[in-house]
Amino acid sequence: MTVTDQIAPRRTFAIGPVLDRYYGAGVSTVSVLLFLLLWEFAAEWNWINIRFTSQPSQVFRAAVVLFQTPVFYHHAWVSFSEFVLGFALALVVSIPVGLVLGTSRRVRLFVEPPLMALYTAPRLALLPILIVWLGIGMASKVAVVFLGAVFPIIVNTIAGVRDADQRLLQAARAFGANQIDIFLKVLIPGSLPAILMGVRLGIGRGLLSVIVGEMFVSEAGIGYQLMTYGQGMHMNNLLVYAFVVSFFGYGLTMSVRVLEDRVRSWRSVA
Amino acid sequence: MTRLFAKHQALISGFVSFAVLLLIWQLAVDLGYIKAFFVSSPSRAATEFWRQLQSGEVRDNMTVSLYEFAVGLSLAVAVGGLLGVLAGWSRTIEYILEPFIWFKYSSPTIAFYPIFIAWLGLGEPTIIAIAFIFALTPIYANTLSGIKNVDQDLVRAAKSFGARPHDLFLKVALPGSVPILIAGLRLAVGRALTGVIAAELFGATAGLGYSIAYYGQKLKTNEMMVSLVLVVILGVVFTQLLSLLEAATDSWRPNADR
Repeated sequence: MTVTDQIAPRRTFAIGPVLDRYYGAGVSTVSVLLFLLLWEFAAEWNWINIRFTSQPSQVFRAAVVLFQTPVFYHHAWVSFSEFVLGFALALVVSIPVGLVLGTSRRVRLFVEPPLMALYTAPRLALLPILIVWLGIGMASKVAVVFLGAVFPIIVNTIAGVRDADQRLLQAARAFGANQIDIFLKVLIPGSLPAILMGVRLGIGRGLLSVIVGEMFVSEAGIGYQLMTYGQGMHMNNLLVYAFVVSFFGYGLTMSVRVLEDRVRSWRSVA
Repeated sequence: MTRLFAKHQALISGFVSFAVLLLIWQLAVDLGYIKAFFVSSPSRAATEFWRQLQSGEVRDNMTVSLYEFAVGLSLAVAVGGLLGVLAGWSRTIEYILEPFIWFKYSSPTIAFYPIFIAWLGLGEPTIIAIAFIFALTPIYANTLSGIKNVDQDLVRAAKSFGARPHDLFLKVALPGSVPILIAGLRLAVGRALTGVIAAELFGATAGLGYSIAYYGQKLKTNEMMVSLVLVVILGVVFTQLLSLLEAATDSWRPNADR
């Protein structure tokens, strides 16, 4: 099994070292600013229907108002706790399972097929049955986050353990390391970048799951608000919530990415 | 016998593992450990599958979902591929696109679903749009990195033999990046399917996702299980096909290390 996983959109570095980086950042900033300006003025001059698209300035104003209401924090908190609970559960389960499956070929032979089936299938399809089991409250969302996040982490952990450097394993054995030493000092550090990649993918899936879960049926949360504002055609507030979720995901993914780069660079230097 | 087992070990153990799972599921319900109301059971689901097959429900739902899936994916391939090639060709274009791609990549795009509803209305166009958006990033990212990771020695060799830019593109860059493009396609297929199903859960009048949501709301687990299993099978079949294609296109490479 090879997990040529998502090649994340690459951040370009080096080549024309520092200058290139400034150039890149500059072009990116200008491009975002231009997009916002175009959006603002296209609505202003009625090229596009403001009722459907809103306008950056209006979204900003709506955000200022919304961030002062306790309602916003209530919904954000509900979604946040569902996400954190489900994701923590996924971490606790997936990493040990992945490590075991990565080391034992025999177990893997039997567990991998159903695992891969669930990994490749759209697990959001399970949402309605989770709601039958767990109700429309938080439990079903925690479960769907868990299901969304757990498989990418397991699969990448397995791949990480299997791709562990054989020379390091041999060296460790030659110096008399026992199974536990090898596990703790070679396999886990060695597969850390892969695990982190799984975590990063899991974050994306988990967030998507919370939002879809809440949009499907719920009593509170950001997804719930998105649906409510969508049905009422309140584009400003809708966009505020959509951007809040997006930036949360962006920030979290980026942090894991930085961590990943750090772990990777530490490895390649060695 | 043992050699036969060794050769098809993965296949046999996979088969055994699914068979055991189905058996446990069936027995757990039959022996009354779990209520069939909650989990259905393989025999109940199979009976129901037969009924839906006869009534044409399976065919209708599959047709609708696959159509939306195919259109969304094709659009994503066309647009994502084009953007990827452009970005691979010019660093400036890459930088222009970068913030949007990263944003799209890490945010749950489904949050913008109600806006699509407002723009495109409930149903097919919105579902296609969501599938498109879901599948776009892997296509773009893999096209870009496929082009960027082209062996520079080959490029230099081709140039010194007088290759023109479009020769370079068609005869060096493109064949060189086929495996990574197919890897992108494989990821995109999974995403597009997720997009179709998720969007169908909310607002549709037909399709597998719709059928799951519809029967789910009526608490009819047997009926729901049919489409649920079909979705899983579709995901597995598509991904497996593309994995095979990936292996096939990569095998000519002397040092294929993946």
